[in-house]
Amino acid sequence: MINFDYVRVSTIKAAVDAIVKDNNSLWLAGGTNLVDLMKKGVMTPQKLVDINNLPLKEIKKEGNKLIIGALALNSTVADNELVRKEQPLLALAVQAGASAQLRNMATVGGNMMQRTRCPYFYNTDMPCNKREPGTGCGALKGFNRMHAIFTDTEKCIAVHPSDMSVGLVALDATVLLSGPRGDRRIPFQNFHRLPGNLPQKDNTLERGELIVAVEIPENKLNKHVHYLKVRDRTSYAFALVSAAVAVDLEGSTIKDIRLALGGVAHKPWRLTEVENFLKGKAATEVNYKQAAALAIRGAKGFGLNNFKLKLAPNTLVEALKTATGKS
Amino acid sequence: MATHQYLGGQPDEALDRVDGRQKVTGAAKYSVDDILPGLTYAVLVESTIAKGHIKKIDTKKAQSAPGVLAIIYHGNAPAIPGYETGGNPAKPPTGGEPFRVFQNTQIYFAGQPIAIVIADTYERAIYAATLVETEYNKDDQRTDIEGNKDKAVVPKGPRYADYIRGEADAYKNSVIKIEAEYIIPVEVHNPMELHATTAFWDGEDKVTVFDKTQGVKSTQRSIMDAFKLKEQNVQVNTDFVGGGFGSGLRTWPHVIAAVLAAKKINKPVKLVLTRPQMFTMVGYRPYSWQKISLGATRDGVLTGLTHEAISETSTYEEFTDRTVDISKVMYACPNVNTRYKIVALDKSTPTWMRGPGEATGAYALECAIDELSYAVNLDPLELRIRNHADVDPVRNLPWSSKYLKECYQKGAEAIGWNKRNPKPNSMQEGEWQLGYGMGAGNFNANRGRATVKATLLADGSLVLQSAVSDSGPGTATTMTSIASNVFGLSPGKITFELGDSSLPPGPTQGGSTTTSTLGSAVHDVCVALQQKMAELVTIQGSLLQGAKPENLHFEKGYITLKTDASKKVAYADVVKQTGSSQLEVTKDSQAGDERNKYSIYSFAVHFVQVQVHRLTGVVRIKKVVTVADAGKIINEKTAASQLMGGVVSGIGMALMEDAVMDHRFGRYVNNNLADYHVPVSADVPDIKALFIDKPDPFINPIGSKGLGEIANVGFAAAVANAVYHATGKRIRTLPITPDKLLR
Amino acid sequence: MAKKGSGQNQAEENYLNESRRNFFKQSSLLTALAVTPPAFLKAAEEGLDEKAAGYFEKMPLAIQINGVNHDLSVEPRTTLLDLIREQLALPGTKKGCDHGQCGACTVHVNGNRVLSCLTLAVTAEGKKVTTIEGLADGEKLHPMQEAFIKYDGFQCGYCTPGQIMSGIACIREGHANSDDEIREYMSGNICRCGAYPNIVKAIADVKKGGQTL
Repeated sequence: MINFDYVRVSTIKAAVDAIVKDNNSLWLAGGTNLVDLMKKGVMTPQKLVDINNLPLKEIKKEGNKLIIGALALNSTVADNELVRKEQPLLALAVQAGASAQLRNMATVGGNMMQRTRCPYFYNTDMPCNKREPGTGCGALKGFNRMHAIFTDTEKCIAVHPSDMSVGLVALDATVLLSGPRGDRRIPFQNFHRLPGNLPQKDNTLERGELIVAVEIPENKLNKHVHYLKVRDRTSYAFALVSAAVAVDLEGSTIKDIRLALGGVAHKPWRLTEVENFLKGKAATEVNYKQAAALAIRGAKGFGLNNFKLKLAPNTLVEALKTATGKS
Repeated sequence: MATHQYLGGQPDEALDRVDGRQKVTGAAKYSVDDILPGLTYAVLVESTIAKGHIKKIDTKKAQSAPGVLAIIYHGNAPAIPGYETGGNPAKPPTGGEPFRVFQNTQIYFAGQPIAIVIADTYERAIYAATLVETEYNKDDQRTDIEGNKDKAVVPKGPRYADYIRGEADAYKNSVIKIEAEYIIPVEVHNPMELHATTAFWDGEDKVTVFDKTQGVKSTQRSIMDAFKLKEQNVQVNTDFVGGGFGSGLRTWPHVIAAVLAAKKINKPVKLVLTRPQMFTMVGYRPYSWQKISLGATRDGVLTGLTHEAISETSTYEEFTDRTVDISKVMYACPNVNTRYKIVALDKSTPTWMRGPGEATGAYALECAIDELSYAVNLDPLELRIRNHADVDPVRNLPWSSKYLKECYQKGAEAIGWNKRNPKPNSMQEGEWQLGYGMGAGNFNANRGRATVKATLLADGSLVLQSAVSDSGPGTATTMTSIASNVFGLSPGKITFELGDSSLPPGPTQGGSTTTSTLGSAVHDVCVALQQKMAELVTIQGSLLQGAKPENLHFEKGYITLKTDASKKVAYADVVKQTGSSQLEVTKDSQAGDERNKYSIYSFAVHFVQVQVHRLTGVVRIKKVVTVADAGKIINEKTAASQLMGGVVSGIGMALMEDAVMDHRFGRYVNNNLADYHVPVSADVPDIKALFIDKPDPFINPIGSKGLGEIANVGFAAAVANAVYHATGKRIRTLPITPDKLLR
Repeated sequence: MAKKGSGQNQAEENYLNESRRNFFKQSSLLTALAVTPPAFLKAAEEGLDEKAAGYFEKMPLAIQINGVNHDLSVEPRTTLLDLIREQLALPGTKKGCDHGQCGACTVHVNGNRVLSCLTLAVTAEGKKVTTIEGLADGEKLHPMQEAFIKYDGFQCGYCTPGQIMSGIACIREGHANSDDEIREYMSGNICRCGAYPNIVKAIADVKKGGQTL
């Protein structure tokens, strides 16, 4: 690593100012992804602005919204009573990620900001349009077993690795930002991007915009939830495919439902069309299978990840069964 | 050197590890845990191409970076005397010539060390290394064995010639035929400790090295040969080794690089490999393609067995493995033939990885046997018993001991083998399909040569010394146990010293031979010491004068007369009698000719219960029973841990390990511990590790065969067979990941 | 305890940090030298005094390790792991991968288990760090250390410091209520020797013992 500059700030304004005035600077929160990337030479800020002292750690209920500060630790969120009671899907999703130690270090904001783990992105000797636009996509004709089946370009088929984000996108969260031009709110669905012509941009933040909190609206979807993460080993591994399910069940009818997939795209994959299909239908495996077939429409494999075309719908069906089987 | 003394209060059969306290307090020092005064830090620069030549290395920028003390590469490398005479300094255990670090511009594999940067801090060394600029003349590399099988050749030497017993390819004429191909991808040892070396010179001709090695003396030899130094001037210290599994069986080029760097700057140099470098610089289990062809009668009696294998090696060394050997001895079949070939690829040289060829070959053989059992509608256990080899079918010699049938029986009972529904795809628990599988294995039980020095001190305590390492099996603990029993002294009064090349020569820790080899030497030296003590106490004027040596009994630190227990002499008093402060004996110990009369093997059987998810293809291991015939079990605690450890490595082999190379570049894409999966705690259920624990009467004086490797030979097959039983799907390419079950 | 406590005004602290570096920047002979890496390289190229250059790179760090207060001077890029191993001669904490993928480097920071290889040392300012060397009370071992010996929860011992630190925290966090829960919550500590079943037994035993850790 280069020997970068390091400063600490304790107000949002100072944090934003520090970044805006120096193009070679980045915020440091938990650092579990950033420090890793800096060691690999993938990200090379010349200055880190430590924001860990900002007052953004609280988890609280305000009216009918659950507000989680951007600096709340992943482990805190997973174990928080309010989260577990009101938005248990989120707790399950966060818990499925990484390891206990990493969850003790990583923040909510950092989890959203984490970069893909595509090996071509991570290795500075390999072609990667995300890391160095124009150099090509190493995964396209290479090792793409972990990669996207939904994409809007062959310039980049990376997946977003965050489990927490799959939960948040399912729960209609809103991202609260503060930047040089003031405060902003983005629906979680619009926070992460598809690569398009700018694979180097993971999300829709403008430079200097700091995530301050995520907000989750109250709902009746906390009785039947499941987060199913299918991976190559039982724990401490990224998803091959994951599915987040939250159902408002009335008897055996699906009154309301939220669905999202992970491990399939450059962003967490909300399944609105599938939700609409299932609303009002009976909670049966037959319906789940039809829903899953709908979910996979438009998906495409790139060789080594063709199995996801089968695994993704199967995972969704299994998650639905588990969620609605639980009382 | 590491000094180990037993501190616990347990009975002799199950000693707590003598080095336990050091390990749980962080006091155990591994190869880079000593902070020496003036220590400097080295980092290797690696080739980014797999084949070709270095056109230019520009070190100017790197040289000017803060704290840089030296940069060595082919353009300025000091001579390594051993290289110049054309010898093979870091002698490869197999054919060819080892890679000579920094000696020319040729690139043999991606990740090849092409320069070493030394700086005054670790951070500065890493940073400076990024400033080294290299240009290459790149050639097209060949790293994919599947596309190059036509270039496979039979390795040199009589060991690897095609073997035929009876009629070759007899399966072709059999009533029942099984022909199946099996693939195991590249696996990497990945011990938790990164390979590392700290080296410093004293003048021109003396060097001390703290090295991570499984062979203290062999590393000493390699350094001696490379730098043309006298044995007494090369000191290798290896107090603790953080796992080896085979990666430390030879002295790799990075060790020579570290020693060279230390010589160049005349300061202590510490070199630690990065985790990605652990994939290319310390060997790996090579990719293997295997074909097993079985012929049998309708009753499941084998009439023909053909085992073919193709594996890989580097272009500069010929690495070979005993992949097909297991088929020669595992079953009584009159017609067996094997064909083994290797392909030279633009990769670094593989090396033996826990279980080596036997684990590789057993996967194929034991899966094929399982396939046969369904073809003849016979219980897989019964099929194996039906084809049990009562004598060694290759040499026509009796086994020194073989309790494989007992292993079958004990294991089957423990897992409830007979309670299963033998039909595949017949047992469910909700969305999980249940299956049971078994796999057996054998492993040559060897005894090598070792020297141990025993010193009885004036206080009656015993010190044993040998230049051996311990990478986890519990060498010092096992030796303490043996000495305690043989010498008649409580373990708390015994100290075992190891890890120091200046001690009497010990064996390299590998091939499951340490207990057999070193344990025998400990036994022999204790007996020799007792003999010396017997002479001393029975001569004229001494404490038990006139007594016959055969009438003496040694126990708990006292010599007594068998015929009169009241007459006793403390060991301490024997020492006092000599008039000096200690009594010493050094004994060299090695095998006799028992191998000419008997075939000596360890055996194990693994039984596994798995669950496979119907929709997602996830495989979970629910129960494991492993039974080993490893001769006499010296220390139950460490032996059970060894067996468990082998099982865990087998879980990795069966379900998740796969070092993936992008052949367009000849480079690994998952060379790190997040993407190369080894088992984590959640992957591992309770493991029932059982032993027959009957001494082998011929292998050595302690009756112990080997355990470390039999622990995983055949395990991967047990899992694959269980998956078949659960689902009706036969997966012949490891690892068995969810996607393979979705097809 | 640390010189800079939470009581001190944070903005002032920032100013001090910022200005300390600025001060060094301005006060030396090398006035033109900015402390950004490209400029640094240039300085090195011009053969400027390395010692003075070194001066620029470090930051003060007040940290407590195993009950001992330290006032150090560290480069921002130094990890907590390398700090404790290389500069403080506490080699008990191990480097297994240096990228947060194996858990061997697990320590406690303010009682929480974290990975020291991904922790920049400067971010531990004012915090209490406990390493494996800080567990035993003289000759008396911590109950977790004793349990590991009793159940043979290790073989080569390299991952052991991390396993023990992690196991203690696992109980404290309330995640050791069953063998399966222990397995899951200890999955961030890789053991290549495969001692997992015995590690689980050791942790379960300590949990059963009910002592406050």
